[in-house]
Amino acid sequence: MADDELVLDKLVHEPGRLAILTVLSSVNDADFLFLQRTTGLTKGNLSSHLTKLDDAGLVTIEKRFVLKKPNTRVALTPSGKRRVADHWERLDRLKALADHARAAMPSRAPSPSSKNSHASTRFPSGSSK
Amino acid sequence: MDPERLRSAAAEYPYLRGLVSIPAGALFIVAALGNAGWGPLEHDWVFVTAVLLIAAACAAINRFYNEHYGRVTPSTRQQVKAVAVTAAGVLLMLVAATLLRSRASWSLDLPVNPIPAVFGALMLAYSAAVAGPRPHHVVIWGGLMVAGLVPVWDGADPSNVGLVMCGVAVMLNGLLDHLQIVRTLGPASPSLGRG
Repeated sequence: MADDELVLDKLVHEPGRLAILTVLSSVNDADFLFLQRTTGLTKGNLSSHLTKLDDAGLVTIEKRFVLKKPNTRVALTPSGKRRVADHWERLDRLKALADHARAAMPSRAPSPSSKNSHASTRFPSGSSK
Repeated sequence: MDPERLRSAAAEYPYLRGLVSIPAGALFIVAALGNAGWGPLEHDWVFVTAVLLIAAACAAINRFYNEHYGRVTPSTRQQVKAVAVTAAGVLLMLVAATLLRSRASWSLDLPVNPIPAVFGALMLAYSAAVAGPRPHHVVIWGGLMVAGLVPVWDGADPSNVGLVMCGVAVMLNGLLDHLQIVRTLGPASPSLGRG
């Protein structure tokens, strides 16, 4: 497996943006309010993330009026769909590698002298930060 | 972040806007009372007015969801699935209801109540196709189906009682669907800004 296959897409990996893209990946489109409800982002944060995603060509943003009220509709572009699917696939592969590495380690009973022996061992944790 | 939770919240939300089901359930009950010629509903204009009021209530509730939880267009795949299950279900419902108990010569004429039986089965299949199904879908729609199939419905035509049972089930299911949205997305709050 090539190393670059496991390099994470920084634009997509940011937790707020990953949440937005994940929500959009399961629908045709969603409006600003729904994205706010599902991701828990503030209006300012969501707006900033959407601008970045729009600039990168991952989403399309349509501003319109519905019953005289402004409404912002957001949808994934084909490129956005591909990038978020690739990203989750990479995270799954990293998780599988980490699980494999953990399973391959010899199991040792923790003792007072060895309790910090793994402190410097690093595994991809699946954490989104 | 749980990606499955985010995906299912988005995909199921359009189908769990359950408060709309409360006036829809009332429509079943109004239809049953109209068929039975109960009170003012024996007049056609009263029935039509009741239907218009119910439609207005559905529109107002739809607007409530749009303003408090937002708008979502389901994926094309999910829309196709919902339409296919509905179309096939309605067709099967007509055939099954006629087969179970009707005046048709090929009817089995069983002592069952075909409307709740086939409607419960249809809604169970629909819920499974678009939103899970959740445990309350299984209990309510499964219960409705079983209640219709219990062979105690001999005697007079049980269609109107069946419609009332369907109406109550639709209302109860809608309420529980709405609570599911509240659990997933939080209570309706006017404090969130609109983009």
